[in-house]
Amino acid sequence: MREISVIVNGRTRKRMIKDNELLLDFLREKLEVRSVKAACWRGECGLCTVLLDGHLVKSCLVLAVEADGREVRTVEGITNDGELAPIQKAFVNHGAAQCGFCTPAWVLATHELLKANPNPSDADLVEATTGLVCRCGTYNQIREAVAEVSAAPKVRSKPRESPSLGISG
Amino acid sequence: MSFGSPYTTLPDFEYHKPTTLEEVLGLLKQYGDEAKPMGGGVGLIAFMKERLMSPAHVIDVKGVKEFKQLNNTTGRGLSVGAAVTLAELLEGGMLKKDYTVLHEAISKVADPMIRRRATLVGNLCEAIPWVDSPPALIALEASVVIAGPDGRRSVPVSSFIRGPVDIDLGPSEIVTSVDIPQAKGTHSAFEKFTGGSEFSLASVAVVVSDGGRNRGARVVYGSVNSTPIRSAEVEEAIKGGITPGSVRKAADMASEKVACVDDVLATAAYRKHLLKVITTKVLRRMMSQ
Repeated sequence: MREISVIVNGRTRKRMIKDNELLLDFLREKLEVRSVKAACWRGECGLCTVLLDGHLVKSCLVLAVEADGREVRTVEGITNDGELAPIQKAFVNHGAAQCGFCTPAWVLATHELLKANPNPSDADLVEATTGLVCRCGTYNQIREAVAEVSAAPKVRSKPRESPSLGISG
Repeated sequence: MSFGSPYTTLPDFEYHKPTTLEEVLGLLKQYGDEAKPMGGGVGLIAFMKERLMSPAHVIDVKGVKEFKQLNNTTGRGLSVGAAVTLAELLEGGMLKKDYTVLHEAISKVADPMIRRRATLVGNLCEAIPWVDSPPALIALEASVVIAGPDGRRSVPVSSFIRGPVDIDLGPSEIVTSVDIPQAKGTHSAFEKFTGGSEFSLASVAVVVSDGGRNRGARVVYGSVNSTPIRSAEVEEAIKGGITPGSVRKAADMASEKVACVDDVLATAAYRKHLLKVITTKVLRRMMSQ
């Protein structure tokens, strides 16, 4: 056992951990950050995605001890004084969630995409989110939510085609 | 990586984070077979979850400064430190022009979150047959630099990978970097076919030199056998230039001469067909550039 100190959403959190503990379990079980979802446990579904020192990583493939002294941000950390971020509002507006299980990861990933690239193309969106899945298939609604926040002039979205988002290959 | 394991936790181990190469070598000497170095951890953590590996000691090499170095030196080429991630390599921007084949191979590896953690050297040390970067590195004639108790040695990537999950590395040794000779004046490209699965079923890396002493082509196939395979027959077919005729000939040669295996992902016969398809695709793309 050893003590680690991690800044999670701006707050310094200290806990005792075992060396073989995953960052995913540390966040969910030790800190009760339950927006970080445990689903596949092997880096495929992307629902445990968090920001580690500003970079998106899958927390099921990171050791908790590796986060010692570093900064972790989850979807809770993108709201501003309780005010939803624009992409969060857009997800609500477009009903870009069905069961909602994957939503925190998608919100975090699209929020980061829009921060780095305020006007992402469809290909940019697909590329940025190939590591995420939504089993309910809300890909088109997510696409519309991203388009709403995008800086590009809005054009009426095309008739829906079969979704290609999130299918890795 | 999914092999259907029921485990979600990791076996017990002690975590070490050395900050110098000497410390790494000291730990390897002390713990030998009981220790496993960890770069991005993407492979090691997955393997440990599957209980395919249960090292008593995990040595995180990301704290070693020299392992984070990424040097692009004129005349010498590119040196990629053991802890440089695929994302850092892509963001460095030095691959696109002169090392196109490597850029194309790693920019389609997994997804951006995995590429943020996975390292190029980790890719090589895993020596999993369906990893995309080894064929590209072999086509670029890259070498692996290894440090051990007796100093450093350098091994071509082609002989470093001996078989599936089998590399030319002793228990007291560590890979410090992969070095890629300067590829200025070459044209190169990479193509793979995944069929929607998470792994490549066949891949091809092509490097063509237009002039100078190394005039010629290097063509390496991945994911079709236990190690990447360089094909002299395909290289011969495009030696005189990439034309519609030589592309057809090269595609036939690839399908005919490159040995393929049957496994859970695909049959050898299907892989033979894919070799024809990807060889045609990659060479046609190079022809039009």
